Amino acid sequence: MGREVAESCVDSILTEMVSTYCNRFYANKPELAARRIEAIGYQVGHQLSERYTMERPRFNDHLEAIKFICKDFWSELFKKQIDNLKTNHRGTFVLQDNKFRWLSRMSIDPSENGDLSQDNPEAAENKAAQMTSMHLYFPCGIIRGALSNLGIPCAVSADMSNLPACSFVVRIKA
Amino acid sequence: MIVCVAVVGHQNNPLYIQSFTDADDALKLHHIVHCSLDVIDEKVNNPKKSGPTLNETFLGLLYPTENYKVYGYLTNTKVKFILVTTDLDVKDADVRNYFRSFHAAYVDAVSNPFHVPGKKITSKTFAERVTNIVKSFGFSSAA
Amino acid sequence: MEEYPEELRSPPVSLVAVVGCGELHQAITTHLHSQQPPINSLALPDVSKISFLISPKPKTDSSSSAAVGILKRDWLQKHRTRIPSVIAALFTSDRISGDPAQWLQLCSDLEELKASIRARNIRLVLVVVHSHSKDDITEDRMLALRKRAEVDSKYIITFSQNDAFELKQSLHRLGSIFAELANTYYKDEGRKIKTKIEKKSFSSIELSIRYCFKVAVYAEFRRDWVEALRFYEDAYHALREMIGTSTRTTIQRLVEIKTVAEQLHFKISTLLLHGGKIPDAVTWFRQHNTWYKRIIGSPEAVFLHWEWMSRQFLVFAELLETSSIAIPTISSVIVGTAERPLTEWEFHPAHYYQLAAHYLKEKRSSLEFAVSMSESLGEVDSSAESVVPSTYVGQFARLVEQGNAHVMQPLTDDEYTRYAVAEGKRFQDSFEIIALLKKSYESYSNLKVHRMGSFCGFQMAKEYYGVGDFSNAKPLFDGIASLYRQEGWVTLLWEVLGYLRECSRKQGMVKDFIEYSLEMAALPVSSKTGDQLFGFKECGPAGPVSLQQRKLIHNEVFGFICGELELASSDESANLKVTVDNPLHLEIDVVSPLRLVLLASVAFHEHIVKPGSSTSITLSLLSQLPHTVEIDQLEVQFNQSDCNFIIVNSHRHSGALVDGHQGHRVETASSLSLSTNRWLRLTYDVKSDESGKLECISVIAKLAPHFTICCRAESPASMDELPLWKFEDRVETYPTKDPALAFSGQRAIQVEEPESQVDLNLGLSGPAFVGESFLVPVTLASKGHAVYSGELKINLVDVRGGGLISPSDTEPFSMDTHHVQLLGISEPEGEDESQQDTDKIKKIQESFGLVSVPFLKCGESWSCKLEIKWHRPKPVMLYVSLRYSPDSNESTAQKVNIHKSLQIDGKTAIMISHRLLLPFRQDPLLPSRIKPVNDTDQSPSLPSNETSILIISAKNCTDVPLRFQSMSLEVDGDDFGNSCSVQHGGEDLSDPALVVPGEEFKKVFSIIPKTNSSKIGLGNVCLRWRRDSGLDEQSGTTVNSVLTKQKLPDVNLEVSPLVLRLDCPPYAILGEPFTYFIEIQNQTQLLQEVKFSLADAQSFVMSGSHNDTVFVLPKSVHVLSYKLVPLASGVQQLPRFTLTSVRYSAGFQPSIAASTLFVFPSKPHFKMIDVQDKRIKSLATE
Repeated sequence: MGREVAESCVDSILTEMVSTYCNRFYANKPELAARRIEAIGYQVGHQLSERYTMERPRFNDHLEAIKFICKDFWSELFKKQIDNLKTNHRGTFVLQDNKFRWLSRMSIDPSENGDLSQDNPEAAENKAAQMTSMHLYFPCGIIRGALSNLGIPCAVSADMSNLPACSFVVRIKA
Repeated sequence: MIVCVAVVGHQNNPLYIQSFTDADDALKLHHIVHCSLDVIDEKVNNPKKSGPTLNETFLGLLYPTENYKVYGYLTNTKVKFILVTTDLDVKDADVRNYFRSFHAAYVDAVSNPFHVPGKKITSKTFAERVTNIVKSFGFSSAA
Repeated sequence: MEEYPEELRSPPVSLVAVVGCGELHQAITTHLHSQQPPINSLALPDVSKISFLISPKPKTDSSSSAAVGILKRDWLQKHRTRIPSVIAALFTSDRISGDPAQWLQLCSDLEELKASIRARNIRLVLVVVHSHSKDDITEDRMLALRKRAEVDSKYIITFSQNDAFELKQSLHRLGSIFAELANTYYKDEGRKIKTKIEKKSFSSIELSIRYCFKVAVYAEFRRDWVEALRFYEDAYHALREMIGTSTRTTIQRLVEIKTVAEQLHFKISTLLLHGGKIPDAVTWFRQHNTWYKRIIGSPEAVFLHWEWMSRQFLVFAELLETSSIAIPTISSVIVGTAERPLTEWEFHPAHYYQLAAHYLKEKRSSLEFAVSMSESLGEVDSSAESVVPSTYVGQFARLVEQGNAHVMQPLTDDEYTRYAVAEGKRFQDSFEIIALLKKSYESYSNLKVHRMGSFCGFQMAKEYYGVGDFSNAKPLFDGIASLYRQEGWVTLLWEVLGYLRECSRKQGMVKDFIEYSLEMAALPVSSKTGDQLFGFKECGPAGPVSLQQRKLIHNEVFGFICGELELASSDESANLKVTVDNPLHLEIDVVSPLRLVLLASVAFHEHIVKPGSSTSITLSLLSQLPHTVEIDQLEVQFNQSDCNFIIVNSHRHSGALVDGHQGHRVETASSLSLSTNRWLRLTYDVKSDESGKLECISVIAKLAPHFTICCRAESPASMDELPLWKFEDRVETYPTKDPALAFSGQRAIQVEEPESQVDLNLGLSGPAFVGESFLVPVTLASKGHAVYSGELKINLVDVRGGGLISPSDTEPFSMDTHHVQLLGISEPEGEDESQQDTDKIKKIQESFGLVSVPFLKCGESWSCKLEIKWHRPKPVMLYVSLRYSPDSNESTAQKVNIHKSLQIDGKTAIMISHRLLLPFRQDPLLPSRIKPVNDTDQSPSLPSNETSILIISAKNCTDVPLRFQSMSLEVDGDDFGNSCSVQHGGEDLSDPALVVPGEEFKKVFSIIPKTNSSKIGLGNVCLRWRRDSGLDEQSGTTVNSVLTKQKLPDVNLEVSPLVLRLDCPPYAILGEPFTYFIEIQNQTQLLQEVKFSLADAQSFVMSGSHNDTVFVLPKSVHVLSYKLVPLASGVQQLPRFTLTSVRYSAGFQPSIAASTLFVFPSKPHFKMIDVQDKRIKSLATE
């Protein structure tokens, strides 16, 4: 019996969280902001994995746990499964979501940055990419938190070269 | 009667331990819970022996002491639940039921945003819920 | 198990008796023993002794004995050692066949024997021993004997011992008869009793139990384990019914029942384990245990029950241990019913040892109670001495002297209890408990079951503690404490630490006592966990786990530290105290459990600082002690001891009290109080003058005048979480106010070197050429520093990495092992050699050089030149580093380093190529040209003994002009001089030739090979050259010329059989006839037939034969001559001449160049001299 929250609320809270950390708390230290946002995601993932694994047998290996993330866990979070899972069989997994929900309704508008865009469109694009990647620290943290809780310490990074498709790279620590 | 319930973290550290007896043997119960971790380790590390219950969260009877029976449960997140009871005739189904509701209570407790993962559970709500679960133990099948 | 009588412990063995013929007994006994199954035998010398053995069966009424007891104590032993199943009477044959007197004697013996065994149904065997050869015994004697003995004929056997074979046979026969008869005997006996059971013809349960027991024993005699097991079980169940029926059993009755139950259970377990049915045995034991566990009996003798229980577990553990050796894979047989699944521990003896110890402890405590009760009643037990075990198993009686006889008197329950208490007092249960626990502990440890093992160890240690053996207890406690610490079981740790604290107190170990006390005081026990109270009854000497208790311990230990309290050790004389003479110092490192007590985190605010400039350092201390601790003084220690400083608490000291740290900085802090779980943050400036690493090592806190704690400094970035507390839900704060510093702060920083104020310059003049000594000028110019004890290091490193050493090991003695070589370092000119210090360092190796720099004052400069030689073209990095101290005092001064590097390309300056030519218009017919061999050998061929021309050209590949001084051909060895004559085309260049970049320089040599070998080397080209230095060309002495050598390839030598020479004038004039000679020289000893043809040419008219065949005589020349008249002017083609050698079947034509002639339109007007000839020749080559 899960309580449901309007999607727009989730979207808003995500943008608000990112902007608060990036622009107010750690305006000049994007690494620190990223670290904090990721940490919040970590805790969320940690707690969600506790809940979503409740009624199932224990996983035998890493792949089973990753599959759980791709299917059930993702479905619970985003009402869809991961579209593509790749692995090199040596501890690296690439989870690709072709339409990542939290970015699908986000407009990345370079004009927001005002005069900067006119002077230097490349820099504006860079800035936009940086802002987007800030939004991805939270889901990265969620994945890392969930996997860590399942006994798989790992590092998670995101790749958003072709939006709104988005891939998460999971590197399991030996 | 359930005399002790415990939640043990993945570093085998106690996260929550509550006994329901007179204070006299509470320390002994701590020892019993601690010793039962050996059995869980054994079951998890040598899954062949446990046979059909492979990977099931419910680990069954861990070991009989003279006056108690100790049951174990291992979640996917490597958190162990341990139950010590004095009842000699316990139905497996009862124990399973107990662990299921206990797990639910645990998940709710750790999902509290103010709970830090890996720390002891200090929530009063959780304690109350556990007390209720313990009280209702065995009634479901008797009824 | 050892306390059981032998007859119970081992399975029974059939017993037989042998009578008469004593000399054979030894052999028979041995044989029977070795049989499978073995048979025990009794040996009697003659029949008259039989009555000693077999007492007449008491004909008492069975019903009367029923009430007395269940099992007779000696019944089993009697049947195993005294009542044989078969008696063999041995007679020598002469007694049978001998005189009547002997026969009669025999008959009477037999009668006696029969009489004595009849009552017990013992089987009889007659053995006739043939002592000598064939004693013939008549048929009727034998028949008479049989009748007399009343045995079947097959039980009369003859025993002959004439030879070994017969003896063996006889023994064998005897053995099988014994086995058969013993079997029937035990079967009959068993059946007899079995019918009694079936008919229920017994008056009491006791009897039924006894019968069942007997049947089972008889079955065991027959090795019928299944039946034995069944009847033992029956007996056991019947016994249980007895408890059920008799509602109120007396103490003695209960003891008897339990003793019998124990014996029956032992038999059952043994049989089950023996049959490999371990799970059954375990299940059976579990049942046995549950049935009897509750039958405690009357309270005053409850210790007997616990003792009994303990024994059950001990015996079963021992049984399991011995049987599990035989069956190695217990785990594979683990099964269990669905209702009562068996857990794995129930198959490990350790489990049972542990419980045996547990019950023994119960026994001890209840015995202590009983003893104290009896003592308080003041009963004096004199009566206990005469109590002995009575006739029945599990019963005791008093032996009373009545005249000469001893009479058993039954005891009252009270008497028995007193007896038992008195008996119990004689044993030291603690040691028994320790022994049991030790077994369990070791067994668990072997199984790697650490927590169970630790629990046993803990109980063991508690026992040691209880008996005052602290030296044994402490290491055990210590081991257990580390497990609990590691896993964060605070309540359990508390208890163990409590014991440890008391152990060290009793042993007078001050340091340990304080460490344990501090750790306990800092344990994460909050008032919340304290809620779950533990009664005082079971908690250890430390008292219950609670915040209050922590505070008490804290106060106690600080009172002690401050010298206010004394440690009362076990021997009262040596009360210990922390005083001036007895100061105390604790060390806390990163793994110490005392990190809870004091944690020091040190963070520099910067990562790199300049020397001499100060940086901030934040020192943060954290303590989990329950009360606030006031620190007197803090000392911060660095790896650079100059930086150490002391912080003094202004509240506690008036400032003058800083002791013994002269020269160290002293800071004063207004307050140095450490509250629970709150960082004490102190920020100070640190300044280091020394470059390198500056690391904070430790912080020493002085808490009392004679008590210090040295705490290893930790970096906040890499600080481990606080053990135990990390699981607590507490407020966590950063060691520094700035969270970023808390994430990344380090306790070590890098102090930079002082900036150098000396210029180091590497001058470079163009690229280096292979072979020359390339000079790199190095200049030092001091701009602000004086240079003391300067050292210049030079390193040559291959740009692409790797060494400069040639990888080829084929020429180990070659000088060229280094492609690039540092030849030397030339000091500046004008320096007087004699003034050089003797100890001046100057080391030159192939790629490394070290030279010392003289003292330079500020503003001075110094230079030197590095001489580097390339042997192969290669780009090289040149590293030059200067290390000096700006101060004259070498020991204290900082060394300053300056590094410069430069890439230098070594290039090839000159490319040397060569060409070989034959003399003009002379063509030897070479066999290799006729028959082209496989192209493995591509080297050109030269005709031997003919003049060949070698043209060597050298090209300047550089971008600077070069001067060539000489070029010569140098031969390798002596033999070449003989084998080949070389004629230089011109003398040495007196004036060096200037060769601009890209230009080629050529020189012609003529060679006449004179050897017969097929191959000769042409030697090395030696080219001496130098850079064109422009103006000062005359001072060639300063610029060393370079000698470049290049080896020319080997050439093949061939003898040409035929040589064709064309001879015509150097030029012709239009319209003027001239003679064109064609000489064919035969160099062989053979007659050569050659065909030739001369083709017509457009520009010439010609006379003479066009085609012909001629014979050329050996070693002679055939000359063809043609007259030609040129018809056109310019360069004209002479008629082509073609020669075909018949012998070599090869056609042969001079080259087009050789048959070309220049025709002048009219006679030119110039003198012809020799030189022109050469000019034309050289023209032709191009």
